[in-house]
Amino acid sequence: MNREQLFDIAHTWFETQGWKPFPFQTQTWTAFLQGKNGLLNAPTGSGKTYALWMPVVLDYIKKNPDYKTKHKPGLKAIWITPLRALSVEIKQAAERVANDLETGLTVGIRTGDTTASERSRQKNKMPDLLVTTPESMQLLLASKDYAKIFKQCSAIIIDEWHELLGTKRGVQTELSLSRLKTIAPKMRIWGISATIGNLQQAMEVLLGPESQALENSVMVRAHINKKINVISVIPEKMDAYPWRGHMGLHLVDEVAEIIKKSRTTLIFTNVRSACEIWFQALLNKYPEFAGDMAMHHGSINRETRQWVEQAIRDEQLKAVVCTSSLDLGVDFAPVETVIQIGGPKGVARFLQRAGRSGHRPGQESNIYFLATHAIELVEASALRKAVKDTVVEDRVPYLNSWDVLTQYLVSLAVSDGFYPDDIYKEVKSTFCYQAITEEEWRFCLNFITLGAQSLQAYDEFKRVEIEDDGKFKVNSRVVAMRHRMQMGTIVSDAVLRVKFVGGGYLGTVEEWFISKLEPGDTFIFSGRKLELYRVKNMEVLVRLAKPGAKAKHASWMGGRLTLSAQMSELLREELYAANTPKMSRELKALAPIFNRQRKESIVPDENQFLIETFKTREGYHAIFYPFEGRYVHEALASLMAFRISLLSPITFSLAYNDYGFELLSDKQIDMQQVLDNDLFTPMHLHSDLQRSLNATEMARRKFRDIAVIAGLVFTGYPGKVVKTKHLQSSSQLIFEVFREYEPDNLLFRQAYRETFEHQLEEGRLTLALERIQQQEIIWKQCEKPTPFSFPIITDRLRERLSSETLAERIKRMTANYMK
Amino acid sequence: MTLKISINHNTFILHCTGAMYWAEKKMLLISDVHLGKVSHFRKHGSALPDRAKFKNFAKLDAVTQFFKPESICFLGDLFHSKVNNEWELFSDWALQVKIPLVLVAGNHDIIAPMHYEALGISVCSESITGGFLLTHHPEEREGLFNLSGHIHPGVRLEGFGRQFLKLPCFFYTPQQMILPAFGEFTGMYLLEPAEHTVIYAITKEDVVKVEVKEQQ
Repeated sequence: MNREQLFDIAHTWFETQGWKPFPFQTQTWTAFLQGKNGLLNAPTGSGKTYALWMPVVLDYIKKNPDYKTKHKPGLKAIWITPLRALSVEIKQAAERVANDLETGLTVGIRTGDTTASERSRQKNKMPDLLVTTPESMQLLLASKDYAKIFKQCSAIIIDEWHELLGTKRGVQTELSLSRLKTIAPKMRIWGISATIGNLQQAMEVLLGPESQALENSVMVRAHINKKINVISVIPEKMDAYPWRGHMGLHLVDEVAEIIKKSRTTLIFTNVRSACEIWFQALLNKYPEFAGDMAMHHGSINRETRQWVEQAIRDEQLKAVVCTSSLDLGVDFAPVETVIQIGGPKGVARFLQRAGRSGHRPGQESNIYFLATHAIELVEASALRKAVKDTVVEDRVPYLNSWDVLTQYLVSLAVSDGFYPDDIYKEVKSTFCYQAITEEEWRFCLNFITLGAQSLQAYDEFKRVEIEDDGKFKVNSRVVAMRHRMQMGTIVSDAVLRVKFVGGGYLGTVEEWFISKLEPGDTFIFSGRKLELYRVKNMEVLVRLAKPGAKAKHASWMGGRLTLSAQMSELLREELYAANTPKMSRELKALAPIFNRQRKESIVPDENQFLIETFKTREGYHAIFYPFEGRYVHEALASLMAFRISLLSPITFSLAYNDYGFELLSDKQIDMQQVLDNDLFTPMHLHSDLQRSLNATEMARRKFRDIAVIAGLVFTGYPGKVVKTKHLQSSSQLIFEVFREYEPDNLLFRQAYRETFEHQLEEGRLTLALERIQQQEIIWKQCEKPTPFSFPIITDRLRERLSSETLAERIKRMTANYMK
Repeated sequence: MTLKISINHNTFILHCTGAMYWAEKKMLLISDVHLGKVSHFRKHGSALPDRAKFKNFAKLDAVTQFFKPESICFLGDLFHSKVNNEWELFSDWALQVKIPLVLVAGNHDIIAPMHYEALGISVCSESITGGFLLTHHPEEREGLFNLSGHIHPGVRLEGFGRQFLKLPCFFYTPQQMILPAFGEFTGMYLLEPAEHTVIYAITKEDVVKVEVKEQQ
């Protein structure tokens, strides 16, 4: 069959659906059928799924003209999705095409949720089209005779590549692809990505720098211009606006009004706990919403989430309170309105959310922005400008992730074993490991065979063995089993399953939250008030609590986002405008706050760098305002604290938000000395940061993931009962052991490198310091906290830095008890 | 480096490693060494630095040199798990100290007593001497003052300017003294003080008595 005939089939199918293919869809079909690789740049819900499933099916038809009568078995295409939750929808889309065209092609799912029996059935007879996740993909590479499975496979599609790109799961995908290129040389590689700043690089990472695959590739862009309206929710009386308070619940009435006026509204919160709290708050005040409103976040059980998603599509719901869990996924046509609660911190994320509404052609997207505290309103007008100028951020890919590489090598050793020379070439062809040296490679091999040591008589280290012919192989079944279970744990904290005593699964919570509760305590989860019965074998058993009981909201770690560089620049511009007559609606509304700020201090303009100092009963506060985003402030706070602590012995507690940072101490800082000594200099930045204790603290936290991925700690597997107590240790203890005995270990050093590159954003930091050098420093000695300082000084999550000895500090401290 | 205290007319010297010297008995008390933990992890494929396993022995040597005791009593969890290569190191160490060694067995001590006895170490579940009850798990018994381990006690300190510290400590209550874990690569468990608690926090160099205060 020639291409024209094939396209006829596709067009006819589109017509029967009542659709017309978009140019980007036909462009993708053509490129795919020409055997090209590529990257499709298309937003969620634009029809990107059919842009790639269709040519997969057409290709099968082309190769098998008698496709209606004779089915050719074997895996033909793999679809990788970052979220398990999306796999069902993708499968349904694929089935629709496959069945309507009478191809007899089967579609299967293989994720962490797939049962063992289903998996072994797949092992014997692979479906024609497989939907899976990066982790499950690598698990396939850890199964015996895996090369056979992929021999006939003609395409692999990586969906939502922008989500994977800046993560270690992205690296995991790069490695899997490097292997597939060898064992299935005819396989086309396609990525699908929303708009990000570095699309060209995204394609390079996907296909491999300077690779043949990259040479034979195209980028297809869907030009779907849609008008997005950003509307701030501003209360009539500004004095009611809290200076801090991270939930924005005082605007619950305004939100209810918006919900009532629209068909379906999605309410996005930044963290899962905010999601729970808003859901409750709306229900309490507007009981009539019960039944018309639902909640959706990553820790709620899958069935409930799927039910919610279907209900949105069927227009059964008036409102859904959700987190980034609904950022991705297929079209929700009935959604008319989107409300964003709290700063979205990044333009790309905001655009994606805005794009969830108004899917009908010609419709505009309406997104309401609800600032949770007064100053955050400035973000709204900054966002509007960002939307107008389509400013989007880059996703920075990881480099040299030794943890992911060692995990991958063990995977290969678990399945059929590997010969290092072959694999080295493949690994070096990836973007992540393009600069790997022979020495680093040897370290990785040593790490999995000898435990990073040179061979010693006493040592009993056992993981990967080297066979006589030089093959690296895992022969111990225990090691193999533990590795398979551990894989896919590129998650951070231990999670526990929440279940009713009488059965019924509700979702997952993090261990640290539950560990704070006693049996009998009440907490709100999944929109229900629950009483903790007991915790057993990674399961939290609960029953429904009495309605009147006082409850805590479940909370999750790691929810703190930072302003992107682009956003912080826009934010500064917007804030500086507060000193000009050209003010946006939001700035005008903030006038009372600005007046208050000016009473004690100033609202800085672009030539000024503001420092405020004051004393409260908590201690001596010094607040600095670079307006550079949380991560940069975290680094700056650490840097300044360190430099000041060199002047004289002092201990600081550090806090920061997106606008500035605080150094709090029990002694007064000699600010004049800080200014005289030019402590904001960008000179010696790297070494100062490294010496400040805080970099170690941050590296310690980064090390947690690294230790899990590299198999240094065994976490067990969520929901599975494994007796591993004797092998449990906190990654913090392990970090200390490395610090003392093996500081040159590559995995240990990786923790620091990640801290500097991904957390401290050293590049941004230098730019920020250079900018501050150009500004005039305004030091205001205030009588009491200013509106700008308030959200920072009330922050409870703090770091500490000290140049005093522990013994000195202990003498001024107390251990407290409650009577 | 040390701090001298008195319990029931006996003198004890607390050491910053977590060891405690009983002056009247010339006995060194050490709890929760968890020997063999590093090797145990390595045996199961976790690539911890092999060198780390020598640290515990260096510390044991250092405190023995410092106090020159006539006997050492381990208050349980001397070994983390089964016999592994660190047992050899321990045997060498035990044979060269040339003073009586006693092990009050703890929950981790699953190595058969015969192995210890072969090295001349006596194993018991508890020991009563001079009005003191030595156990692994903290215990309350009428008329006896309990010296124990097991908990790996730690304390959280607070200070002006929102300062916090978490440190391992000796945890004293009127009938009981819980020793901190001596071993490297062991964690701690935060204990909350009560009205009559006395806490001695340990740092790398010091033992410091902590002020205990009722929360306002």
